Amino acid sequence: MKDPSRIYRWLLLVASVVTIVYLVGAAVRENYLAQWRTVQLEYRDLLREKATDDRGRELLAKFRVEMKQASIPALGTVDRCVTCHNGVDDPRMTDAPQPHRTHPGHILDKHPVDRFGCTVCHHGQGAAMTFSEAKAEDVFWDYPLLPPELTESTCVTCHDAERLPPEQIPLLTAGMKLYRDKSCGSCHKLGGRGGALGPALDNEGAKSKHQLIMTNLRPPHTTWNWQNAHFRDPGSVVPDSLMRNPTVTRREALALTAYMLSQWKRDVPESYLAPDKIEQKYRALHPEPLTGEQVYRQYCTACHGNGAYTRWDKKFNRFIPAIRGVSLISTATPEYFQSNIEQGRPGTQMPAWGLHAGGLIPEEITGVIEYLRLGAPAAPAMTALALQGDASNGLSLFLRNCAGCHGMNGRGGMAPEVGNPVFQQAATDEFIIHTIRNGRIGTAMPAFQRNEAPVFSDQDIADVLAYLRTLGEPRGQKAMAQNATSGTPPGGKP
Amino acid sequence: MTETATREFVHNLHELPHTVKDACFRLGKEPESEREESQATFHNLFLHIHSVRVHLRTLSPTLTFGLGLMATASFVITIITGVLLMVYYKPSTDLAYQSIKDIHFTVSTGRFIRNIHRWSAQLMVLVVLLHMARVFFTASYKKPREFNWLVGLALLVITLALSFTGYLLPWDQLAYWAITIGSNIANSPRELTDAIGITKFFDPGGLQKRLLLGANYVGQDALIRFYVLHVFVLPLALVGLLGVHFWRIRKDGGLAKPEDPPGGLAEWGGERRPVFQPLATKTYGLMALVKGKRPPVNRGPENTVMSWPHLFWAELSVFMVTVAVTLILAFYSDAPLKELANAAIPENPAKAPWYFLGLQELVSYSAFMGGMLIPMIVLVGLALIPFLDRRPGGEGTWFGTSHERSVFWQSLFFACAVTVGMLAFTVNYGWLRNWFPNIHQLWIIVINPGSLLVLIFAAWSLFILKRKDSVRLAAVSLFTCFLVGFTLLTYFATVHRGPNWHFYWWPSQWPVH
Amino acid sequence: MSRLDPPRVSRRSFLSLASLGSFFVAMGTAAAGMFRLPNPAVLPGPVRRYKLGPPEQFSAGSETAFTEENLVLFRDDDGFYAISSTCTHLGCTVARSKDGFACPCHGSRFNSQGSVVGGPAPRPLPWLEVSRAANGDLIVNADNEVPEGTRYRV
Repeated sequence: MKDPSRIYRWLLLVASVVTIVYLVGAAVRENYLAQWRTVQLEYRDLLREKATDDRGRELLAKFRVEMKQASIPALGTVDRCVTCHNGVDDPRMTDAPQPHRTHPGHILDKHPVDRFGCTVCHHGQGAAMTFSEAKAEDVFWDYPLLPPELTESTCVTCHDAERLPPEQIPLLTAGMKLYRDKSCGSCHKLGGRGGALGPALDNEGAKSKHQLIMTNLRPPHTTWNWQNAHFRDPGSVVPDSLMRNPTVTRREALALTAYMLSQWKRDVPESYLAPDKIEQKYRALHPEPLTGEQVYRQYCTACHGNGAYTRWDKKFNRFIPAIRGVSLISTATPEYFQSNIEQGRPGTQMPAWGLHAGGLIPEEITGVIEYLRLGAPAAPAMTALALQGDASNGLSLFLRNCAGCHGMNGRGGMAPEVGNPVFQQAATDEFIIHTIRNGRIGTAMPAFQRNEAPVFSDQDIADVLAYLRTLGEPRGQKAMAQNATSGTPPGGKP
Repeated sequence: MTETATREFVHNLHELPHTVKDACFRLGKEPESEREESQATFHNLFLHIHSVRVHLRTLSPTLTFGLGLMATASFVITIITGVLLMVYYKPSTDLAYQSIKDIHFTVSTGRFIRNIHRWSAQLMVLVVLLHMARVFFTASYKKPREFNWLVGLALLVITLALSFTGYLLPWDQLAYWAITIGSNIANSPRELTDAIGITKFFDPGGLQKRLLLGANYVGQDALIRFYVLHVFVLPLALVGLLGVHFWRIRKDGGLAKPEDPPGGLAEWGGERRPVFQPLATKTYGLMALVKGKRPPVNRGPENTVMSWPHLFWAELSVFMVTVAVTLILAFYSDAPLKELANAAIPENPAKAPWYFLGLQELVSYSAFMGGMLIPMIVLVGLALIPFLDRRPGGEGTWFGTSHERSVFWQSLFFACAVTVGMLAFTVNYGWLRNWFPNIHQLWIIVINPGSLLVLIFAAWSLFILKRKDSVRLAAVSLFTCFLVGFTLLTYFATVHRGPNWHFYWWPSQWPVH
Repeated sequence: MSRLDPPRVSRRSFLSLASLGSFFVAMGTAAAGMFRLPNPAVLPGPVRRYKLGPPEQFSAGSETAFTEENLVLFRDDDGFYAISSTCTHLGCTVARSKDGFACPCHGSRFNSQGSVVGGPAPRPLPWLEVSRAANGDLIVNADNEVPEGTRYRV
């Protein structure tokens, strides 16, 4: 009779042997073949070679092969980088191979590992025990290790970047300057100040890769790679981007990336903040006003260029007005500029810049208006017409002569939206008449009553003016009237 | 006299090893007779739930494949590794994630132990489902085993609950969003009460969700509730019911086995042996079997063998096979851990654990139907099987009734065709909401792919009932359809559902985020 | 035993011994691993190793109190030594007194070498390990005690 449990005894034997093999295998793999252990044994050999003095020998005697960590509850981090980077504060190891090499520069003199850890500056997964998991580029970790050249972007966690020596933070300093010179504030808000066409950049550095669209980016899919590619060609990364190419060199793109990564409102305990950082926080509440030229450079140049003549923008598909053009600054009053700058042109790409919108304080707006009007020639005589205007004739004149650029119902097209409420309220009749008569030098606005070849008579101009003023009527009533006839709302976006 | 006492003292010290051993082990040696083998089983605290003799047929590996034992073994492994993990895990939303990272990175063999825990938990769910299928297909739920079938169903639910509560504990993106979905499934009766407008007065959905989460969102309260359920309440319930489950096996006469043939002779291992026929009533219970002249009652002793050692070899080997398989899986494959839970960044797609994915697919059609009603229908249906199929016969053999195998295959193909067809239809043409955007939600609750599948399977089963004139065959067809549906839906939701729950042929086609 | 029962398998069969033996070895190995687990491989919490500055900063015969680190650093002609400011009675911080240390809580008194001269303290103030960091700065490890009288020579 066959033994009924024989097969089970074989199974037990095989299964037990397999179990023993895998138990021992796992124990060896995790405890003895661990990467950090190999690294530490290598380091001990290195130390033995280099420890030629008493102190070195003392260090060698005290060296133990074990897991090491810097635990900093105040920062909420536990950084185990020192398990492999044993030589990080040992000057003997300056020319040792990584990971044994000393930390470059004198940073650790003021930022000892025991008090700061490593990840507060370098990011990465501090708790990890293997390099690939510490680097955390392909693992599930929000903040992978920063490339060495971009490490300066984290200095602003505790420091005011403008008070640090520029040679310590070259990329960051360059990036800050480029941000202003390239006039990024024209479209982007930072610290509550800037335009509204692009997203605010205040916490750009805190974004993880899941908050950026990586579809068009070639791997590696890291946030700095995204920022870098975006600065080099915005349209390649964000398909329907309105952002014009900032035309920067490779190094400049990197500098701007560093600046973007530094935008991170991170909470660290006050004992870690440098005094200049605390001052910076107070200063932010009461900022020094910028000069008019600075305001223009930082917040207007991206769209208006130097302002002397019209610019054609192919993304907006329109002409951008020449706000320092000779004709405008001689005919427009400071109040005209004030209204347009403070309130912008709602519904168009020109944002409002007043204190609760673009964030410019009244002093700065006054300053920039002065700057715009620098070198303005004497204001010409501008008179009203004594004629009564016929709006219906004005309409047909407008359609034939103006709508091509200024759009139907004055809703704007390639040229400004003359139906815009801010324009209608800020522009006087005389101003409009003068502009129609004489055009604007350096722009696409022609003169309609030049002495040699007048297109409009005075009556024509009065009619057109009358028609233009109907465009400024309250939109609701106009809309109802318009909808009744054509079904299209008046005004509106170009 | 002190001299004799001293000698006595020294002698006792000298004999210490023997006397300690004899005190602990009453038999103190290998059993050498049947009586001693009986005692080894019967007098042992841990072993005496086993009967002293077991029927030969029940030792056959192809009868049960050791699935019940494997499930128990997985449970034991999970408990042991779970307790070890509890030494380091911290159930606070601030600390949980980091504590698991620390277990992975620094704890001695913590990575391995955590992997074992995860794998043995997954294995337990899978094996429990396979065990249920085995019990069904060997008709081992028939009288007197109906109650044990019900206990088994309760154990299934507790196992799923254990796995689900454990899923939240790492507090990573996977955990957070899976439980967000789970709690919203618990909230799904709202779909019905909203549709008929009675939510203000009667809101079982909201109540269920609040009980689960302790709040309106998944946060610290949810974590601590799930932790308490996972480490204390549910294991206790499981152990208690497991005790009942094993006890009932004894009382119901051991594992269901193929009948010994009539005529007093059995064929086993190439020999013909005499067996005794069961008596209609038992006049007394048998405590132990020894050589003697008393007649055995209600069993054929020639077809039974001593539990010690045969049954225990079987149990030990199945336990070790489970351990070995779990270790191999844990060695090569790490338990997943994604980024820290972040309420601002939803996972896309946010998928429930695999055993709930089939349900999630159904929930994507109608939350209430897929999340509440169909699971209840399935559970009630499963529970009713032993009470509706009462014709004796066929127990203990795979596909024991005539035509069972052919009905099984027919149902398999039928269910495959219907499920795949239904999925293909919904992927290509959408459903009611796509064709009639303003249709009332009640229509969708009642008529959706899930409910239609249930109806079609029920209709098929009724068809078999009439055609084959057998309740058992109807049950086989329905159970097979359920198994196939569950498997296909789980597979479909795992592989072919991507971001926004859209259909994709392969995960490699998912759009890069 | 019925003549039709399967023959009793010899308990000493190699297969039985081997399988049972390997089972116990497997369980033993597993148990060994499991018992190792509760012993932390790396102790949590900040390490109590304090960098106090370059040795030249402290002249011979000086004593410098470090209130945050709870210790006093001495230097005499033989070298450096550091004494903990935590009273060995019940843990209060001792204050410097005319000829040693005095604890405000229950009146323990110590001399300037840390030995107990009065009060309920059961043992002297601990002497802490002094060594040097890689860049030469003095380091005191408050987790390591050294015998009294140990001097660290620079």
